[in-house]
Amino acid sequence: MRRLKKALGSALLGALSLAVLCPASRPARAQWLNYPTKGTPRTAEGKPNLTAPTPRRPDGKPDLTGVWMGVTKYMINIAADLKPDEVPFQPWAAAEFQRRRDTESKDDPSAQCLPLSVPLRQTITSPFKVIDVAAKEEMVMLYEGSRHREIFMDGRPLPKDPEPSWYGYAVGRWEGDDLVIDSIGFNGKEWLDINGHPTTEALHVVERYHRIDFGHMSLEITIDDPKAYTRPWKVKESPRLLPDTELLEAVCENNQDPAHMVGK
Amino acid sequence: MAALALMAAARLLAHHSFAAEFDAAKRVTLKGTVTKVDWRNPHIYVYLNVKDENGAAAEWACEGGPPNVLLREGWTRTSVKEGEEVTIDGAVAKDGSKRCNSRTVILADGRKVFAGSSEDNAAGRGGKP
Repeated sequence: MRRLKKALGSALLGALSLAVLCPASRPARAQWLNYPTKGTPRTAEGKPNLTAPTPRRPDGKPDLTGVWMGVTKYMINIAADLKPDEVPFQPWAAAEFQRRRDTESKDDPSAQCLPLSVPLRQTITSPFKVIDVAAKEEMVMLYEGSRHREIFMDGRPLPKDPEPSWYGYAVGRWEGDDLVIDSIGFNGKEWLDINGHPTTEALHVVERYHRIDFGHMSLEITIDDPKAYTRPWKVKESPRLLPDTELLEAVCENNQDPAHMVGK
Repeated sequence: MAALALMAAARLLAHHSFAAEFDAAKRVTLKGTVTKVDWRNPHIYVYLNVKDENGAAAEWACEGGPPNVLLREGWTRTSVKEGEEVTIDGAVAKDGSKRCNSRTVILADGRKVFAGSSEDNAAGRGGKP
């Protein structure tokens, strides 16, 4: 009995040590923060196999469904991988971008919890969820703090002369195994990143998603905004899958920053 | 453990520009008692009652990351509790208010919590054109 007590004591000590080293044991209550996703390919140890082949829909197209996390450096600077002179600013846009940098992005609409541009939604510090509703010919993208996006895959054209909006209008198509999304109809108020690359109502964003394998995606974004830039320009990003989790709620209910953002 | 490392590697920051609000060059070390942990979006706040060398008390508000980012790194709203003695090292607000952006939050027993601050990523961001 004493030996059993000692063994239990050691086990408890071991568990406590683990609790000290790891910040918290998984909080099961938090909105399915950790919950096995059905259909996830797994290793012999039961861990998600992130290099398993890309899952496919019944029609053979890749299934992009999953919870994905973008790369933070592009949230800060969408042109992080480009040389400064590779962003083809119109002169006013270059000046405005410099003003935003000089004032440390104090006017950033995202700091006011206003809607995010398409590139920002795919790069911020929280994941996005792609749900392929193939039977209805749409893709839906869900976010934690942003409104959803519907990408219509039924061949409809983009609206002519759309009402300028925060969220835009999106249609998508397959090019081989690439999902290509065209979005227009923006209001020019959004920034492409925290640093402040500008947009106008002429913005046309093209996203090209390619699911490389189960856990990895390539995303090429083309910024085609002739009023802000002299020609279209592209960036390449690489979202990664977050397995066995769901999106969490993020309501912007306690935003204290704007009152204190003085700039330089 | 690999998942935790992945989350730690993706140490993420706020949506806002750190440098518009906080001065990375003006650091402060605050030692005090936690009066409140506000675990809401877009940023958590740890409120501290800090006594100066004369014993005069002041309340500081120290900003941390978004709750969901912290949750994915394994922290929770009870990782720091009211009444605990903590030491917060961070960057001071530019507008003179008693606010800081937490860089490290250390409990009385020396454990570091909420590792990750918007300043780390601000330092690494792309430069001017």
